[in-house]
Amino acid sequence: MDVRSLLLFSALLRVLLIIYGEWQDAHMEVRYTDVDYLVFSDAASLMASGKSPYQRSTYRYSPLLAFLLVPNSIIHPSWGKFLFSASDLLVGLFIHTILELRKVPENLCTCALMVWLFNPFTFSIGTRGNCEPIVCAMILWIIICLMNGKVLQAAFWYGLVVHFRIYPIIYSIPIILVLDPHCFQYGLKPALSSWVGQGNSTQSIPSTAVPDSCGIWIAWTSMFTRARIMFGLISGAVFFAFTGLFFYLYRWEFLHEALLYHLTRTDPRHNFSIYFYHIYLHYEHEFSVVERLISFLPQFLIQLVLIICFAQDLPFCFFAQTVAFVAFNKVITAQYFVWFFCLLPLILPWSNMKLKWTGLSCILLWMGAQTHWLMWGYLLEFKGKNVFLELWIASILFLAANTFVLIKIIRYHTFSPLFQRLEFSSSDNDLGEGKKSN
Amino acid sequence: MESWQHVQVHICRILGIQLIFLVGFGFCMSSSFVSCEVGRCTSNVGSTNQSLNIPPYFEKYITKSYFDKYDSLLDSDFLDFISHELFPGSCELLLDNLNLVLRLSVQQRSLIGDGSHRHLSSSFRFNIQSELIAELPIHFCEAIIIEKLPYGIFADPFELQHLLQRGVFMDAAVFGDTNLELPSVHSNRSLVEVHMDVDLNTFSRHKDGLEINIDLPLHIRYPPLEESGYSSIELGAPDLFMRCSIEAKSHNQSCLLMLKDNGVALGNGPVVWRVPSGIKAHARAVSIVTFISAILSTLSIVLTSVYYSSTKLCKNLKQS
Repeated sequence: MDVRSLLLFSALLRVLLIIYGEWQDAHMEVRYTDVDYLVFSDAASLMASGKSPYQRSTYRYSPLLAFLLVPNSIIHPSWGKFLFSASDLLVGLFIHTILELRKVPENLCTCALMVWLFNPFTFSIGTRGNCEPIVCAMILWIIICLMNGKVLQAAFWYGLVVHFRIYPIIYSIPIILVLDPHCFQYGLKPALSSWVGQGNSTQSIPSTAVPDSCGIWIAWTSMFTRARIMFGLISGAVFFAFTGLFFYLYRWEFLHEALLYHLTRTDPRHNFSIYFYHIYLHYEHEFSVVERLISFLPQFLIQLVLIICFAQDLPFCFFAQTVAFVAFNKVITAQYFVWFFCLLPLILPWSNMKLKWTGLSCILLWMGAQTHWLMWGYLLEFKGKNVFLELWIASILFLAANTFVLIKIIRYHTFSPLFQRLEFSSSDNDLGEGKKSN
Repeated sequence: MESWQHVQVHICRILGIQLIFLVGFGFCMSSSFVSCEVGRCTSNVGSTNQSLNIPPYFEKYITKSYFDKYDSLLDSDFLDFISHELFPGSCELLLDNLNLVLRLSVQQRSLIGDGSHRHLSSSFRFNIQSELIAELPIHFCEAIIIEKLPYGIFADPFELQHLLQRGVFMDAAVFGDTNLELPSVHSNRSLVEVHMDVDLNTFSRHKDGLEINIDLPLHIRYPPLEESGYSSIELGAPDLFMRCSIEAKSHNQSCLLMLKDNGVALGNGPVVWRVPSGIKAHARAVSIVTFISAILSTLSIVLTSVYYSSTKLCKNLKQS
């Protein structure tokens, strides 16, 4: 099946699901549509009538999202679902583009693409009205821009995506590191390292060919390259421009709901995080600074180590960071899984993990741990049984499963830096493999 | 460059296909989108009085003015509000007559379902003296049911809106603390006002009298910690009102009647919601095990990352 057919078939599937969702919402007690979609729609409706979207309680997103959904009130309430599903398909297209740029064989590209397009979790999330596919599409577009040497574009979209959804801030340091002057010259298209078969690393010496500690030292001393400075300035300017604009329009309500809430969020209600029961048991008193720091330390340490070890292999670094970020977050909801599902196809061609039986065991263990948690969650929420302890143990088992799967993925991954070292001649104008980019 | 062009062409194709489907879908769907939100519709009840000081009984929602005056819901304050602000005395004659013809005989209440999301099912029956009701100059009546929810129980205003769209209620609103996410410890009480259409003339011909049934979806907040692991929350009886539009000489007028239970007990006792709560005794062990688990997972991932990235690097160096 070629890419075009795959995308068309996926588009048809999503349209049918959206139509079915409308029918279910109208005829059944249990809605197909995500509760969040109703929140977005109400906020968009308020914005369309000139009011603040934050008059809608629990709307905790950028006003941009409400703006994108204004046609919900003008054209049809399903506009947003079509937009999110289109983003979902764009993610598929971008996955294929990235793998093609890295010379991955077509059959592997197609398989990787199918992992995204036909993942039941993925196609249900956009059709139910969740906005995460937009974020995923932006992140993959940033990778494509970097691969094509378009630093300014990458910086613009990066500033925008961090404004839209704060979590991509964790990618800032790897991006800065990957803009290594030995691999990346501002204004020139970088040389990409190609896929050379599973189990083999790329033939070129990665830019961290010297031991990691020296690579970091080189990176630190040559931190202030034009590419890095431009990326930092433009992305920062875009982030502050949008944040400033919406603060001017909506004041502290915007700042609190769209930004500060996410930075300080601690939810005592049950969720996949191992911290939920600890938070509930201590909710009557404020957490001390020490307690907050202790709970933040694992997250910080893991992110730091993953960046140091894998930054040059940018897609893999993004993937590992996202899995760890979600697993160690104080609040975990199912929609967060999309954040790393969209990056998984980018690393599969470089994995030596066989589906039988390591791959299958990882899939079954992860899904099993999740199902186990859901069972206790159902007994607590829908049957009124006091199973807080069992549910909390299930969340610890889920963390263990995430840890196991991540360790396996790291173990079987073939480290492959995104960019090759540029070959420099004695002449300043002759840059060997580097090509001019717009 | 070719990849860029392909990407752009593909993007245009996908967006075009989606737009065609959307336009076609929009034409096919005939249902209208109701933009009326619970509690935010403009009032068109009875009077055309444009004065800013509209009496509470003229407001679309009679309890709205309570929350304009008070910050939180207290039973004593609410009783004062009912006595002094809801009944101005302009409809004494009608109210006295309605009191004679309409008497609450039975009320049944029960919680249906399990867990944190249940339905409060309420049933009220009134005896009607049909020969008198025809003499009253009544245009239209609506029953107003006020549920004063205790701490820890809340109604989702957006869920009520969905029910409104399906025609389950004539109208409904939630007042007070509508934050759906806070636990009991950090939240206040709320109140639900539900309006049901009542045609007294139709019911006057029914020998069993007037019956009103309400099925209200409610949800529980995380309760305070308990030694036993369960918390019991009692739901009190609702306040019932009948608001009728009557024909007067110059214009139509609204009159509000409070329907008292006349000492009729609840058919099956008070409604108690038993909800699981956290156990304080778990606190220390849970904190210790949580942080140990986090540390162990962290160390596993860190050591794996460092080991395998070093191993792969050495392998690369040897190959080069």
